[in-house]
Amino acid sequence: MAPYAFSLAFQSLVREKWINLLSVFTIASGLLIISIAFFAAYNIDAATRKLPEKFAMILYLDDAITRDKVDGILGTLRKKSAVAQVRYISKDDAMKELKALLKNANYVFEGLDENPLPDSVEVRLKRDAVTPEQVRKLTEEIAGIKGIKEVDYGEKFLDALHSLKSGVRTVGLAIIVVMAIGIIFVCYSTVKILFYRRTEEIETFKLLGATKFFIRAPFLIEGGVIGVCGGLGSLGSILILNYVVIARLSSAVPLLATLLFPLNLFLLLPLIGLFLGITGAMIAIGRLQY
Amino acid sequence: MISFTNVTKEYENQTALRDITFVVEKGEMAFITGPSGSGKTTLLKLIYSAEKPDEGTISVAGFELDQLKEPSIPMLRRHIGVVFQDFRLLANRNVFDNVAMALRIRNMPEREIKHKVYETLKAVNLRHKADSFPRRLSGGEQQRVVIARAMVADPTVLLADEPTGNLDADTAEGVVRTFKDINARGTTMLIATHNRDLYRNTGRKVIRLEAGTLVSVGQG
Ligand SMILES: Nc1ncnc2c1ncn2[C@@H]1O[C@H](COP(=O)(O)OP(=O)(O)OP(=O)(O)O)[C@@H](O)[C@H]1O
Ligand SMILES: [Mg+2]
Repeated sequence: MAPYAFSLAFQSLVREKWINLLSVFTIASGLLIISIAFFAAYNIDAATRKLPEKFAMILYLDDAITRDKVDGILGTLRKKSAVAQVRYISKDDAMKELKALLKNANYVFEGLDENPLPDSVEVRLKRDAVTPEQVRKLTEEIAGIKGIKEVDYGEKFLDALHSLKSGVRTVGLAIIVVMAIGIIFVCYSTVKILFYRRTEEIETFKLLGATKFFIRAPFLIEGGVIGVCGGLGSLGSILILNYVVIARLSSAVPLLATLLFPLNLFLLLPLIGLFLGITGAMIAIGRLQY
Repeated sequence: MISFTNVTKEYENQTALRDITFVVEKGEMAFITGPSGSGKTTLLKLIYSAEKPDEGTISVAGFELDQLKEPSIPMLRRHIGVVFQDFRLLANRNVFDNVAMALRIRNMPEREIKHKVYETLKAVNLRHKADSFPRRLSGGEQQRVVIARAMVADPTVLLADEPTGNLDADTAEGVVRTFKDINARGTTMLIATHNRDLYRNTGRKVIRLEAGTLVSVGQG
């Protein structure tokens, strides 16, 4: 690219500094809102990501079920594609586990001469199978198997978790898309204003023999610079928000200390600004007659 | 180098040029004269393709203008230096930058530009005004800046629209001398002027317009 295009771009950036500063400030605000939306979604997503691994269904078996029948049931379960792991827990094992768990409170078991716990099977599902629909479908199938008395899983919890996740994703994405369009529009308008404030000069350049590229390149550069500056502004703001504001508040609100801050993703903000700025500038000059 | 064949140019409400035919040969220095409003500026605008003819064909420096596509217009204009009647100086740039712009649009390196611009400013006696802004210059000085900008890139064709309009007789003579020098280097010149002194007794081609029609092509 012709070096003089940069010179022209920087002359204009300096000459129109107030318009440009206002745009940079607006873009920085927009990108900060995007960053916060992303930060929130990222953390909610991270907090819920581990949960499916802990999720398990417990199948309680009929009393006095024979070992053969249990093996049959285990075989049927293992054949299901959603199932990752199946573990048989006899009533005696269950009691041992319970006793181990309550070994400091042995008195609970005093006077208990018969094991009241049922035989059970613990079923763990594959990660991507832990959705409300799939779990419900599986439950219906399993409940139909002979010898199974009851199926237990955290239905309400699973539903809530799921709608929280998809809600956060939808809202976060909506904010990001709307704000990105807004930022492109700000860059578009700014470049258009810069252009109209220089029409006389541009008219003269054309009469002297300037190419379209010579006339347009400075505006692309200006859009890019404004975008990058907006990106840097938002990066600075989100860093301050995390390392100063949240860091200070977390002594009062311990939950804040557990927040994850994906720094390397936020370092992309200037690049995102550059992209949005150039996009806005391209739309602006594409619509001009020059 | 410049040839018009049956060229007609109409603005919304009037005919600015009607059925104009003439030729300016390579290396020639020719004049256009005629009263105010006779179409001199319009004729020059047709040459650098700031206006399009409604009828007829124009050829300039090997370009057939009716076949010229939008992206090629800058290439045409780089063969032509223009002294605009209304100057078209950039108010927020100094004399040096105004003249340099003709080279910058050609992507010439800055070091060469510096050399070229100072040399040209010296030729029009404005070397000492390089850092001044146009509105701090007299009319005649501004005129000479425009002349410097038109000639700095060594164009094939130099068009001048009333280049001595703001100059006293002595300064005008200086400009004419400069034009002759440029012409002597092989640049084809076409000068629109009211000023008879510029062409009288030169034996050069004089194209006379009246109300948009060509009344004569004679010798000065
Ligand atoms: N852009 C335009 N739109 C409409 N009419 C125009 C336009 N430019 C020039 N004209 C008209 O065309 C005619 C020729 O104008 P032109 O500028 O070519 O005259 P000129 O010979 O250069 O005059 P002068 O000696 O005063 O500079 C004039 O009557 C003018 O009013
Ligand atoms: Mg005129």
